[in-house]
Amino acid sequence: MTFSLLHATDFADRLLYKIIPPLKAGMIVLADRYAFTAFARDAARGVDRHWVRDLYSFAVRPDLAVYFRVPIDVSLDRLLARRVKLKFYEAGMDMGWSTNVTESFRLFQSKVLQEYDAIVPEYGLGVIDASGSITDQQRVYRRLVSERLDGPPAGTP
Amino acid sequence: MTDTSEDPEADHGAHGGVTPGHYYGHGLPYLPVHNYPGRIIAIEGTDGVGRSTQIRLLREWLEVQGYGVIETGWTRSPLMQPTIDLAKASNTLNKLTFVLLYACDFADRLEKEIIPALKAGFVVLADRYIYTAIARAGVRGVDSEWIRRLYGFAIAPHLVFYLKLDAEALARRVLEAGGMEYWESGMDMKAGDDIFDNFRNYQRQLLKEYAAMADEFGFRVLDGRKPVNFIQEDLRRQIGEFLQGGGPARIDPSGA
Repeated sequence: MTFSLLHATDFADRLLYKIIPPLKAGMIVLADRYAFTAFARDAARGVDRHWVRDLYSFAVRPDLAVYFRVPIDVSLDRLLARRVKLKFYEAGMDMGWSTNVTESFRLFQSKVLQEYDAIVPEYGLGVIDASGSITDQQRVYRRLVSERLDGPPAGTP
Repeated sequence: MTDTSEDPEADHGAHGGVTPGHYYGHGLPYLPVHNYPGRIIAIEGTDGVGRSTQIRLLREWLEVQGYGVIETGWTRSPLMQPTIDLAKASNTLNKLTFVLLYACDFADRLEKEIIPALKAGFVVLADRYIYTAIARAGVRGVDSEWIRRLYGFAIAPHLVFYLKLDAEALARRVLEAGGMEYWESGMDMKAGDDIFDNFRNYQRQLLKEYAAMADEFGFRVLDGRKPVNFIQEDLRRQIGEFLQGGGPARIDPSGA
Protein backbone atom coordinates (compact mmCIF):
# COMPACT_ATOMS: atom_id res chain seq x y z
CA MET A 1 0.00 0.00 0.00
CA THR A 2 2.78 2.41 0.85
CA PHE A 3 4.48 1.42 -2.41
CA SER A 4 1.31 2.36 -4.26
CA LEU A 5 0.84 5.67 -2.42
CA LEU A 6 4.47 6.76 -2.77
CA HIS A 7 4.27 6.27 -6.51
CA ALA A 8 0.98 8.14 -6.64
CA THR A 9 2.62 11.01 -4.77
CA ASP A 10 5.48 11.05 -7.24
CA PHE A 11 3.01 10.98 -10.10
CA ALA A 12 0.94 13.83 -8.63
CA ASP A 13 4.09 15.90 -8.28
CA ARG A 14 5.14 15.27 -11.88
CA LEU A 15 1.58 15.82 -13.13
CA LEU A 16 1.40 19.30 -11.63
CA TYR A 17 4.96 20.40 -12.44
CA LYS A 18 5.95 18.48 -15.57
CA ILE A 19 2.80 17.43 -17.38
CA ILE A 20 0.06 20.03 -17.01
CA PRO A 21 2.23 23.14 -17.68
CA PRO A 22 3.54 21.88 -21.07
CA LEU A 23 0.02 20.75 -21.99
CA LYS A 24 -1.21 24.26 -21.31
CA ALA A 25 1.61 25.57 -23.50
CA GLY A 26 0.43 23.32 -26.33
CA MET A 27 3.38 20.96 -26.19
CA ILE A 28 3.52 17.20 -26.57
CA VAL A 29 4.26 15.27 -23.39
CA LEU A 30 5.94 11.89 -23.85
CA ALA A 31 5.36 9.85 -20.70
CA ASP A 32 7.58 6.84 -20.09
CA ARG A 33 4.98 4.85 -18.10
CA TYR A 34 1.76 6.36 -16.85
CA ALA A 35 -0.98 5.51 -14.35
CA PHE A 36 -1.54 2.19 -16.14
CA THR A 37 1.77 0.94 -14.78
CA ALA A 38 0.45 1.57 -11.29
CA PHE A 39 -2.83 -0.18 -12.10
CA ALA A 40 -0.94 -3.28 -13.21
CA ARG A 41 1.83 -3.30 -10.63
CA ASP A 42 -0.28 -2.42 -7.61
CA ALA A 43 -2.97 -4.98 -8.49
CA ALA A 44 -0.25 -7.61 -8.89
CA ARG A 45 0.76 -6.73 -5.32
CA GLY A 46 -2.77 -7.35 -4.06
CA VAL A 47 -4.01 -3.76 -3.87
CA ASP A 48 -7.69 -3.44 -4.82
CA ARG A 49 -8.13 -2.70 -8.53
CA HIS A 50 -10.99 -0.23 -8.05
CA TRP A 51 -9.22 1.58 -5.28
CA VAL A 52 -6.10 2.23 -7.34
CA ARG A 53 -8.20 3.47 -10.27
CA ASP A 54 -10.09 5.82 -7.96
CA LEU A 55 -6.80 6.97 -6.51
CA TYR A 56 -5.55 8.06 -9.94
CA SER A 57 -8.77 9.81 -10.92
CA PHE A 58 -6.83 13.08 -10.56
CA ALA A 59 -4.69 12.10 -13.56
CA VAL A 60 -5.21 13.53 -17.03
CA ARG A 61 -6.38 10.90 -19.49
CA PRO A 62 -3.66 10.64 -22.14
CA ASP A 63 -4.51 11.35 -25.78
CA LEU A 64 -2.71 8.19 -26.75
CA ALA A 65 -1.46 5.32 -24.63
CA VAL A 66 0.63 2.57 -26.15
CA TYR A 67 1.54 -0.70 -24.47
CA PHE A 68 4.74 -2.40 -25.57
CA ARG A 69 3.94 -6.06 -25.01
CA VAL A 70 6.71 -8.59 -24.54
CA PRO A 71 6.72 -12.20 -23.28
CA ILE A 72 8.27 -12.71 -19.87
CA ASP A 73 11.21 -14.71 -21.24
CA VAL A 74 12.17 -12.02 -23.70
CA SER A 75 12.17 -9.34 -21.02
CA LEU A 76 14.20 -11.54 -18.68
CA ASP A 77 16.75 -12.30 -21.40
CA ARG A 78 17.09 -8.63 -22.23
CA LEU A 79 17.53 -7.55 -18.63
CA LEU A 80 19.96 -10.32 -17.76
CA ALA A 81 22.02 -9.65 -20.86
CA ARG A 82 22.42 -6.01 -19.86
CA ARG A 83 23.11 -6.14 -16.19
CA VAL A 84 24.03 -8.47 -13.40
CA LYS A 85 21.20 -8.00 -10.95
CA LEU A 86 17.44 -7.62 -11.26
CA LYS A 87 16.08 -4.87 -9.05
CA PHE A 88 14.41 -5.91 -5.80
CA TYR A 89 10.98 -4.40 -6.43
CA GLU A 90 11.03 -5.02 -10.16
CA ALA A 91 11.38 -8.70 -9.32
CA GLY A 92 8.61 -8.45 -6.73
CA MET A 93 10.99 -9.72 -4.05
CA ASP A 94 8.89 -7.83 -1.45
CA MET A 95 6.13 -10.40 -2.03
CA GLY A 96 8.22 -13.23 -0.65
CA TRP A 97 7.13 -15.66 -3.37
CA SER A 98 10.60 -16.94 -4.08
CA THR A 99 14.06 -16.38 -2.72
CA ASN A 100 15.42 -16.77 -6.23
CA VAL A 101 15.42 -13.36 -7.90
CA THR A 102 14.89 -14.66 -11.43
CA GLU A 103 12.08 -16.97 -10.34
CA SER A 104 10.45 -14.18 -8.31
CA PHE A 105 10.71 -11.86 -11.32
CA ARG A 106 9.01 -14.45 -13.48
CA LEU A 107 6.16 -14.99 -11.00
CA PHE A 108 5.61 -11.32 -10.24
CA GLN A 109 5.94 -9.94 -13.76
CA SER A 110 3.60 -12.66 -15.09
CA LYS A 111 0.94 -11.27 -12.79
CA VAL A 112 1.74 -7.75 -13.97
CA LEU A 113 1.35 -8.86 -17.60
CA GLN A 114 -2.03 -10.43 -16.78
CA GLU A 115 -3.17 -7.11 -15.33
CA TYR A 116 -2.01 -5.27 -18.47
CA ASP A 117 -4.03 -7.66 -20.63
CA ALA A 118 -7.15 -6.50 -18.80
CA ILE A 119 -6.12 -2.83 -18.88
CA VAL A 120 -5.59 -2.76 -22.67
CA PRO A 121 -9.29 -3.15 -23.58
CA GLU A 122 -10.47 -1.25 -20.49
CA TYR A 123 -8.64 1.94 -21.47
CA GLY A 124 -8.24 1.34 -25.20
CA LEU A 125 -4.45 1.14 -25.17
CA GLY A 126 -2.65 0.69 -28.47
CA VAL A 127 -0.50 -2.45 -28.44
CA ILE A 128 2.93 -2.88 -30.01
CA ASP A 129 4.68 -6.22 -30.20
CA ALA A 130 7.93 -5.37 -28.46
CA SER A 131 9.67 -8.64 -29.19
CA GLY A 132 10.35 -7.41 -32.73
CA SER A 133 13.15 -5.13 -33.88
CA ILE A 134 13.33 -1.55 -32.67
CA THR A 135 12.89 -0.33 -36.25
CA ASP A 136 9.65 -2.26 -36.65
CA GLN A 137 8.35 -1.07 -33.32
CA GLN A 138 9.24 2.51 -34.08
CA ARG A 139 7.45 2.32 -37.44
CA VAL A 140 4.20 1.19 -35.78
CA TYR A 141 4.63 3.65 -32.96
CA ARG A 142 5.13 6.59 -35.35
CA ARG A 143 2.07 5.56 -37.32
CA LEU A 144 -0.09 5.44 -34.17
CA VAL A 145 1.21 8.79 -32.99
CA SER A 146 0.79 10.40 -36.42
CA GLU A 147 -2.81 9.22 -36.65
CA ARG A 148 -3.52 10.69 -33.26
CA LEU A 149 -1.92 14.00 -34.14
CA ASP A 150 -4.11 14.28 -37.28
CA GLY A 151 -1.49 14.35 -39.94
CA PRO A 152 2.24 13.64 -40.06
CA PRO A 153 4.34 15.57 -37.57
CA ALA A 154 7.19 17.71 -38.86
CA GLY A 155 10.46 15.95 -39.60
CA THR A 156 9.06 12.47 -40.22
CA PRO A 157 11.08 10.66 -42.89
CA MET B 1 -9.55 9.38 -15.32
CA THR B 2 -11.56 6.62 -13.75
CA ASP B 3 -14.96 5.79 -15.13
CA THR B 4 -16.97 4.87 -12.05
CA SER B 5 -20.31 5.66 -13.67
CA GLU B 6 -20.94 2.03 -14.55
CA ASP B 7 -21.68 1.28 -10.92
CA PRO B 8 -23.24 4.28 -9.23
CA GLU B 9 -24.36 2.23 -6.22
CA ALA B 10 -20.86 1.11 -5.39
CA ASP B 11 -19.39 3.39 -2.80
CA HIS B 12 -16.23 2.24 -1.16
CA GLY B 13 -15.05 5.38 0.50
CA ALA B 14 -14.79 6.29 4.16
CA HIS B 15 -18.36 6.95 5.25
CA GLY B 16 -20.32 6.48 8.44
CA GLY B 17 -22.30 3.32 9.17
CA VAL B 18 -19.38 0.90 8.89
CA THR B 19 -18.99 -1.69 11.67
CA PRO B 20 -16.06 -0.67 13.89
CA GLY B 21 -12.99 -2.78 13.31
CA HIS B 22 -13.88 -3.31 9.65
CA TYR B 23 -12.46 -1.55 6.62
CA TYR B 24 -14.39 1.46 5.37
CA GLY B 25 -14.04 0.43 1.75
CA HIS B 26 -11.96 -2.06 -0.20
CA GLY B 27 -9.36 -2.05 2.53
CA LEU B 28 -6.16 -4.00 2.10
CA PRO B 29 -7.33 -7.14 0.27
CA TYR B 30 -4.19 -8.98 1.34
CA LEU B 31 -4.75 -8.26 5.06
CA PRO B 32 -8.19 -9.34 6.30
CA VAL B 33 -8.96 -7.81 9.71
CA HIS B 34 -12.28 -9.28 10.84
CA ASN B 35 -12.68 -10.46 14.40
CA TYR B 36 -9.38 -9.24 15.70
CA PRO B 37 -9.53 -8.75 19.46
CA GLY B 38 -7.90 -5.30 19.58
CA ARG B 39 -9.70 -1.96 19.69
CA ILE B 40 -8.95 1.39 18.03
CA ILE B 41 -9.71 4.52 19.99
CA ALA B 42 -9.09 7.70 18.02
CA ILE B 43 -8.75 11.16 19.52
CA GLU B 44 -9.38 13.95 17.05
CA GLY B 45 -9.16 17.68 17.36
CA THR B 46 -7.23 20.59 15.92
CA ASP B 47 -3.71 21.61 16.90
CA GLY B 48 -3.18 22.65 20.49
CA VAL B 49 -6.41 21.24 21.82
CA GLY B 50 -4.66 18.93 24.28
CA ARG B 51 -4.82 15.58 22.54
CA SER B 52 -1.35 14.35 23.45
CA THR B 53 -1.80 15.18 27.15
CA GLN B 54 -5.05 13.24 27.21
CA ILE B 55 -3.52 10.28 25.39
CA ARG B 56 -0.57 10.12 27.75
CA LEU B 57 -2.94 9.99 30.74
CA LEU B 58 -5.20 7.45 29.05
CA ARG B 59 -2.33 5.16 28.29
CA GLU B 60 -1.20 5.11 31.88
CA TRP B 61 -4.73 4.41 33.09
CA LEU B 62 -5.30 1.58 30.61
CA GLU B 63 -1.95 -0.04 31.31
CA VAL B 64 -2.57 -0.01 35.05
CA GLN B 65 -5.74 -1.97 34.34
CA GLY B 66 -3.72 -4.56 32.46
CA TYR B 67 -4.44 -3.64 28.85
CA GLY B 68 -1.74 -3.68 26.22
CA VAL B 69 -1.60 -0.21 24.68
CA ILE B 70 0.13 1.26 21.64
CA GLU B 71 0.00 4.85 20.49
CA THR B 72 0.08 5.86 16.88
CA GLY B 73 0.26 9.45 15.76
CA TRP B 74 -0.13 11.41 12.59
CA THR B 75 3.07 11.65 10.45
CA ARG B 76 4.93 9.46 12.92
CA SER B 77 5.62 6.57 10.54
CA PRO B 78 9.32 5.72 10.34
CA LEU B 79 8.99 5.41 6.57
CA MET B 80 7.41 8.79 5.95
CA GLN B 81 8.32 11.20 8.71
CA PRO B 82 11.64 12.31 7.20
CA THR B 83 10.04 12.69 3.77
CA ILE B 84 7.12 14.70 5.09
CA ASP B 85 9.41 16.99 7.09
CA LEU B 86 11.59 17.48 4.05
CA ALA B 87 8.63 18.18 1.79
CA LYS B 88 7.17 20.68 4.26
CA ALA B 89 10.52 22.45 4.44
CA SER B 90 10.64 22.94 0.70
CA ASN B 91 8.22 25.00 -1.30
CA THR B 92 7.23 22.31 -3.73
CA LEU B 93 4.38 20.64 -1.86
CA ASN B 94 0.96 21.12 -3.40
CA LYS B 95 -2.42 20.05 -2.12
CA LEU B 96 -2.36 16.69 -3.92
CA THR B 97 1.11 15.63 -2.87
CA PHE B 98 0.37 16.94 0.63
CA VAL B 99 -2.70 14.69 0.86
CA LEU B 100 -0.94 11.67 -0.67
CA LEU B 101 2.09 11.88 1.62
CA TYR B 102 -0.22 11.85 4.63
CA ALA B 103 -2.10 8.87 3.19
CA CYS B 104 1.19 7.06 2.73
CA ASP B 105 2.18 7.77 6.31
CA PHE B 106 -1.16 6.43 7.50
CA ALA B 107 -0.92 3.32 5.30
CA ASP B 108 2.51 2.56 6.72
CA ARG B 109 1.29 2.85 10.29
CA LEU B 110 -1.86 0.86 9.50
CA GLU B 111 0.08 -2.08 8.11
CA LYS B 112 3.03 -2.02 10.45
CA GLU B 113 1.54 -0.80 13.74
CA ILE B 114 -2.25 -0.73 13.88
CA ILE B 115 -3.20 -4.06 12.27
CA PRO B 116 -0.56 -6.12 14.10
CA ALA B 117 -1.66 -4.50 17.38
CA LEU B 118 -5.33 -5.28 16.69
CA LYS B 119 -4.42 -8.86 15.94
CA ALA B 120 -2.51 -9.12 19.20
CA GLY B 121 -5.40 -7.67 21.20
CA PHE B 122 -4.00 -4.25 22.01
CA VAL B 123 -5.83 -1.02 22.58
CA VAL B 124 -4.62 1.35 19.85
CA LEU B 125 -4.71 4.99 20.89
CA ALA B 126 -4.64 7.02 17.70
CA ASP B 127 -3.53 10.62 18.07
CA ARG B 128 -5.57 11.93 15.12
CA TYR B 129 -7.06 9.63 12.52
CA ILE B 130 -8.20 9.92 8.91
CA TYR B 131 -10.67 12.68 9.84
CA THR B 132 -7.76 15.09 10.20
CA ALA B 133 -6.71 14.28 6.65
CA ILE B 134 -10.26 14.67 5.34
CA ALA B 135 -10.65 18.02 7.14
CA ARG B 136 -7.32 19.42 5.88
CA ALA B 137 -8.01 18.24 2.35
CA GLY B 138 -11.51 19.71 2.48
CA VAL B 139 -10.21 23.13 3.49
CA ARG B 140 -7.72 23.01 0.61
CA GLY B 141 -10.44 22.25 -1.91
CA VAL B 142 -9.63 18.60 -2.60
CA ASP B 143 -12.66 16.66 -3.84
CA SER B 144 -14.38 15.24 -0.77
CA GLU B 145 -15.54 12.07 -2.51
CA TRP B 146 -12.05 11.36 -3.82
CA ILE B 147 -10.40 11.74 -0.43
CA ARG B 148 -13.01 9.46 1.14
CA ARG B 149 -12.41 6.78 -1.45
CA LEU B 150 -8.68 7.17 -0.93
CA TYR B 151 -9.15 6.42 2.77
CA GLY B 152 -11.35 3.43 1.95
CA PHE B 153 -8.33 1.37 3.00
CA ALA B 154 -8.68 2.59 6.61
CA ILE B 155 -10.31 0.66 9.44
CA ALA B 156 -13.32 2.24 11.18
CA PRO B 157 -12.26 2.90 14.80
CA HIS B 158 -14.30 1.55 17.70
CA LEU B 159 -14.50 4.96 19.35
CA VAL B 160 -13.76 8.45 18.04
CA PHE B 161 -13.47 11.31 20.50
CA TYR B 162 -13.41 14.83 19.18
CA LEU B 163 -11.95 17.53 21.40
CA LYS B 164 -13.67 20.68 20.32
CA LEU B 165 -12.28 24.15 20.90
CA ASP B 166 -13.20 27.39 19.14
CA ALA B 167 -10.61 29.13 17.00
CA GLU B 168 -10.18 32.08 19.43
CA ALA B 169 -9.41 29.88 22.44
CA LEU B 170 -7.16 27.76 20.25
CA ALA B 171 -5.21 30.81 19.11
CA ARG B 172 -4.50 31.82 22.71
CA ARG B 173 -3.35 28.32 23.63
CA VAL B 174 -1.06 27.95 20.67
CA LEU B 175 0.48 31.37 21.35
CA GLU B 176 1.09 30.45 24.99
CA ALA B 177 2.68 27.18 23.93
CA GLY B 178 5.26 28.77 21.67
CA GLY B 179 3.62 30.41 18.71
CA MET B 180 1.83 29.82 15.48
CA GLU B 181 3.39 27.54 12.95
CA TYR B 182 3.37 27.88 9.17
CA TRP B 183 1.31 24.79 8.35
CA GLU B 184 -1.03 25.02 11.35
CA SER B 185 -1.88 28.47 10.08
CA GLY B 186 -2.58 27.25 6.59
CA MET B 187 0.04 29.67 5.23
CA ASP B 188 0.44 27.35 2.23
CA MET B 189 -3.02 28.49 1.14
CA LYS B 190 -1.57 31.96 0.57
CA ALA B 191 -4.60 33.81 1.86
CA GLY B 192 -2.43 36.66 3.15
CA ASP B 193 0.68 37.56 5.11
CA ASP B 194 -0.82 37.97 8.56
CA ILE B 195 -0.20 34.74 10.41
CA PHE B 196 -2.76 35.47 13.14
CA ASP B 197 -5.58 36.11 10.69
CA ASN B 198 -4.56 33.12 8.66
CA PHE B 199 -4.39 30.87 11.70
CA ARG B 200 -7.83 31.94 12.87
CA ASN B 201 -9.43 31.60 9.45
CA TYR B 202 -7.75 28.30 8.71
CA GLN B 203 -8.68 26.79 12.06
CA ARG B 204 -12.27 28.06 11.69
CA GLN B 205 -12.53 26.29 8.35
CA LEU B 206 -11.07 23.13 9.85
CA LEU B 207 -13.63 23.27 12.67
CA LYS B 208 -16.39 23.47 10.07
CA GLU B 209 -15.04 20.38 8.35
CA TYR B 210 -14.86 18.47 11.64
CA ALA B 211 -18.39 19.58 12.55
CA ALA B 212 -19.65 18.26 9.22
CA MET B 213 -18.13 14.84 9.95
CA ALA B 214 -19.24 14.59 13.59
CA ASP B 215 -22.66 13.06 12.97
CA GLU B 216 -21.65 10.90 10.06
CA PHE B 217 -18.78 9.19 11.82
CA GLY B 218 -20.33 9.20 15.29
CA PHE B 219 -17.78 11.49 16.97
CA ARG B 220 -18.16 11.70 20.72
CA VAL B 221 -17.69 15.41 21.20
CA LEU B 222 -15.89 16.73 24.28
CA ASP B 223 -15.61 20.36 25.31
CA GLY B 224 -11.93 21.26 24.93
CA ARG B 225 -12.32 24.36 27.16
CA LYS B 226 -12.83 22.17 30.23
CA PRO B 227 -9.85 21.40 32.51
CA VAL B 228 -7.57 18.51 31.58
CA ASN B 229 -8.75 16.38 34.53
CA PHE B 230 -12.39 16.90 33.72
CA ILE B 231 -11.90 15.78 30.12
CA GLN B 232 -9.79 12.84 31.24
CA GLU B 233 -12.51 11.67 33.65
CA ASP B 234 -15.05 11.83 30.86
CA LEU B 235 -12.79 9.87 28.49
CA ARG B 236 -12.10 7.22 31.11
CA ARG B 237 -15.77 6.80 31.93
CA GLN B 238 -16.76 6.36 28.28
CA ILE B 239 -13.82 4.11 27.37
CA GLY B 240 -14.32 2.07 30.54
CA GLU B 241 -17.96 1.45 29.68
CA PHE B 242 -17.04 0.48 26.15
CA LEU B 243 -14.33 -1.96 27.16
CA GLN B 244 -16.60 -3.55 29.80
CA GLY B 245 -18.89 -4.58 26.99
CA GLY B 246 -16.31 -7.06 25.71
CA GLY B 247 -12.92 -6.14 24.43
CA PRO B 248 -9.31 -7.15 24.42
CA ALA B 249 -8.03 -9.52 27.05
CA ARG B 250 -6.15 -7.94 29.91
CA ILE B 251 -3.75 -9.17 32.47
CA ASP B 252 -5.30 -9.05 35.90
CA PRO B 253 -3.21 -6.45 37.69
CA SER B 254 -3.65 -8.31 41.01
CA GLY B 255 -1.83 -11.23 39.44
CA ALA B 256 -4.68 -13.61 40.28
